[in-house]
This record gives sequence, C-alpha cells and structure tokens, in this order.
Amino acid sequence: MPAAQLVSSAIERVLNHLLKLDSDSASGLKKLAGKQLSVAVHELPWPLIFNFSDRVDVLVGMPDEEVKGDCHLALSIATLQKLKDTSQITRLIQNNDLVLEGDLKVAQQFSQLISELEIDWEEQLSQYTGDLVAHKAFAFGKKLVQNTQAQANRLVATLADAAIEEKRIAAPPILVVDFCDQVNELRSATDRLEAKLNRLERQSTTKPNKQSS
Amino acid sequence: MSNNQVSDSNVDSSETGQTSSTPNSPDSNQTHFGFKQVDKAEKASMVAGVFHSVAAKYDIMNDLMSMGVHRIWKRFTIDCSGVRAGHKVLDLAGGTGDLAAKFSKLVGENGQVVLADINNAMLQVGREKLRNKGIVGNLEYVQANAEMLPFPDNHFDVITIAFGLRNVTDKDKALASMYRVLKPGGRLLVLEFSKPQNEMLTKAYDLYSFHLLPKMGQLVANDSESYQYLAESIRMHPDQETLKGMMETAGFEQTSFHNLTGGIVALHRGFKF
Ligand SMILES: C[S@@+](CC[C@H](N)C(=O)[O-])C[C@H]1O[C@@H](n2cnc3c(N)ncnc32)[C@H](O)[C@@H]1O
Repeated sequence: MPAAQLVSSAIERVLNHLLKLDSDSASGLKKLAGKQLSVAVHELPWPLIFNFSDRVDVLVGMPDEEVKGDCHLALSIATLQKLKDTSQITRLIQNNDLVLEGDLKVAQQFSQLISELEIDWEEQLSQYTGDLVAHKAFAFGKKLVQNTQAQANRLVATLADAAIEEKRIAAPPILVVDFCDQVNELRSATDRLEAKLNRLERQSTTKPNKQSS
Repeated sequence: MSNNQVSDSNVDSSETGQTSSTPNSPDSNQTHFGFKQVDKAEKASMVAGVFHSVAAKYDIMNDLMSMGVHRIWKRFTIDCSGVRAGHKVLDLAGGTGDLAAKFSKLVGENGQVVLADINNAMLQVGREKLRNKGIVGNLEYVQANAEMLPFPDNHFDVITIAFGLRNVTDKDKALASMYRVLKPGGRLLVLEFSKPQNEMLTKAYDLYSFHLLPKMGQLVANDSESYQYLAESIRMHPDQETLKGMMETAGFEQTSFHNLTGGIVALHRGFKF
C-alpha cells in the first residue's frame, strides 16, 4: 500500500512547492479553500483526493470508503488521452467515458490554478531527487520526465481551453494526467525493451555462427 | 532546533496511581517499563523522563530511526481517517504534532484539532514547530493523560494515537477513555509498532532496534537509554490480534488492522456506533 502514499506525497510536495513560488496562485487557492476534489482514474488502484486550504493536501482514497468530496471525476487513461481533443469532450460524457459529479466549479478552478502555474517538471523534480520519498516515486528517470514535460504542457493548454469552451465541463487535474502519462511511457518503454530482447534472443539461437563479431 | 528548557512537572501522581488491574502483569501494582518491572505509579513519570529527554531531538531521531518511513505510515493513517472539513479531531499522545498539523488543514476553519500529550516538553516542541509553520487558529494544545481524558462524552469525530499507546500505563483504561470521548459514528486509529509477520524480518529488526538504535540515540541525542527503552517497549506492546481484542473489549466495533512494512507497524481502526 505505501506505493500510493509515496505517489500522493510526491504530488503534494511538487504542487505546494510550485504554488508557493507563484505569488499569483494565492487568490486561486483561496477560491478553493475548504473544498475537496476526488479523481478516480480507472487504471489506478486508488483514487486521489485533493483537499484545499492555504495549500493542497493530497490523500489516497481507501477502497472500503468512497469519498466523492465536493466534486468527483472518474475516467480512464484512454479517456485522458482523448481529452487532448477538446471537440470530443461532450461525446465522452454522453458515452459515459467521463463521469463528472458534484460542483464542477471546483474542478474548473483547480484546472485553472494548475494551468496558470508554469510547471517546469524537470527542474522541480530535480530538487527532490535527494529526498527519499520523491526520489522513489519519481525514479522513472530524467529522460521520462523530459518527455512528460512536453506532453503535460500541451495537455495543460488543451484542458484550460476545454474548461473555458465547454461550460459544463471541467478538466481533470493535470498531475494525474502527468502521472498516468509516466506510467504509460514506462509501459511502452518496457515493451520496446522486451521486444528488443526477444529479437536478440531469437538471433542468437537461430544464427549462432553469424554472431561472432 | 532550539534547545528545550521546559521544566517538566507534568505527571501528577494522583493521576497515574490507578488501582485497576492490568493484563500485563501478574502483580497488579506492577507494570513494565521496557523489559523492567516497575511500580505502576512510577511508570508514567519514567515515560515522562524519556520523552522529556528526547523532546528536542525527537523529530530528527524519528526520521533517522525509521529512515523517513514514519511519514508514510502517518500519511496512511490520515488516508484511513475519513476526516472532513468541520470535523473535531483529537491527536492523542500527539507529541510534536505531525498528524495534528495535517488535520488542521483538512478540517479547515470550521473544524477543530486538539493536540494532547501528557508531556509538557513534547507539547512545547510541537507548539513551536507548528507555529513556525503558520498553523494556528483551529488547533489547541492540551496536556492530558490518555487514561483520563479531560473532554466531554461524544465529542470527537476522529481520534488518532500514533506511537503513543505503548507508553501508556493502563492501556485498557486509555482505550475506554477514548471510546467515551468519541462521537457515535466516530473512529479511533491506533498507529503503533507491532509484530513483524516474517521471521527474517523479525531478526533483522531485532538487530536493528537493540543494537543500532541505542547507538544512534547516543550519537544524535546523546541518550542511549531512552532509545533502549523505546526498543524494549516496542517488544512489550501487544501484537496485532491482542490489541484488536482490547479495542473490542473497550467497546469499539468493526475493528480491523492493517500491517505496514511487514507488520513492524500496524494501523488499528475501530468505530463507535
Ligand atoms: C513516540 S511519541 C509519539 C509522538 C507523535 N504521535 C508521533 O507519532 O510522532 C509518544 C508520545 O506519547 C506521549 N505519552 C506517553 N504516555 C502518555 C499518556 N499516558 N497520555 C498521553 N500521552 C502520553 C509521550 O509524552 C510522547 O510525546
């Protein structure tokens, strides 16, 4: 179970650090104070709960206790990818691919808060690599972070647009998006590695004589 | 961290010299202090001595001893608390206030958090730390013995006691007292060292806590005896099933526990209905 707490702790640290750096964020955060947003990504074993005060506390939802907070989002990683295309959002809701419950303003305000922060993930994360908790949670490596940074920036822009254009629809927190992207990236990187290993294995068994160099 | 100069006269012998019997000892006037048998009346002041002695270095030692993992154990505890804005929370034996600080943010301005501890020196370190972090407003500090809590019946939505119960002289009495001040529908969370579930882990852990830990205590806090006591008190603490049973005896329902780090630590949960 502690894996969940490692992740929530790392997200919380990075997020609060950034909010502190950005003096403009205080007013955005004030609007959210006292509110709770829960986000369930189907592929993650646990939902994340964002609690707002003069900071953001990130909790892990427990399986025996459903916490929906003031606003609740449920969606799959595949849906996260599709959110990049704003024109699809209404259809996603109609197809039940995206569930939005409760006070949508909370999700909108949160996504606005996040999108206004200019997140340089690489720089932020490098500050925490000495820290046991963040280090473990983000041991995915520097390269991955660089890739994700570009993706996250793109997503932040798209989701911010979506929040404005689609009145009834709010964007999910970018940090979950980011985390899922990292997981996806890691998955395809391992798939590629596995394929490569399989190929090498095949080569070495089928052509033993040509492998001398 | 500033040195703590608080004179510590927090243990009133009239509070601690109870006469109820304890399951821990054949002689009802005796209880354990680590591996030693001591007079019940004495234990609280001896425990106070330990925490008075370690107060100033407590946070550093906590990080060192657990290699930072205590933060994750505490996060898990909060995740299991079901705490919401407006709740009243008691962080009992709260010491330097790690849990209370977090709860203060989670319950918001309409909620209330009470950080209670028997030891004035620990409370002072906690108060200073939380003030420096800007945590004020909905947080109160109360010097109190877990065995006789100075709060009304049915008062709190959540009670936590983290690494505190094993230091309490009469644990049954303390659990009953917590039950009394908990609201119906409220829950108690006990985070405490417990019994590792694997033999290899038990061996490594013994080696660590009886040999390395007192040495670290000596080096960092210049106090190996207190850390020797901590290691011993951990072994004397009831195991998972025993504590669960004790909670049920005190009246808690739907009790359960969750082993963390292989059972080195367990989180027990119980409800009052
Ligand atoms: C190991 S510290 C834990 C502090 C904090 N909860 C944490 O997890 O970091 C144990 C605390 O229990 C307190 N304590 C011991 N006996 C107590 C009692 N009978 N009632 C209340 N607090 C007690 C000590 O003063 C000490 O601050």
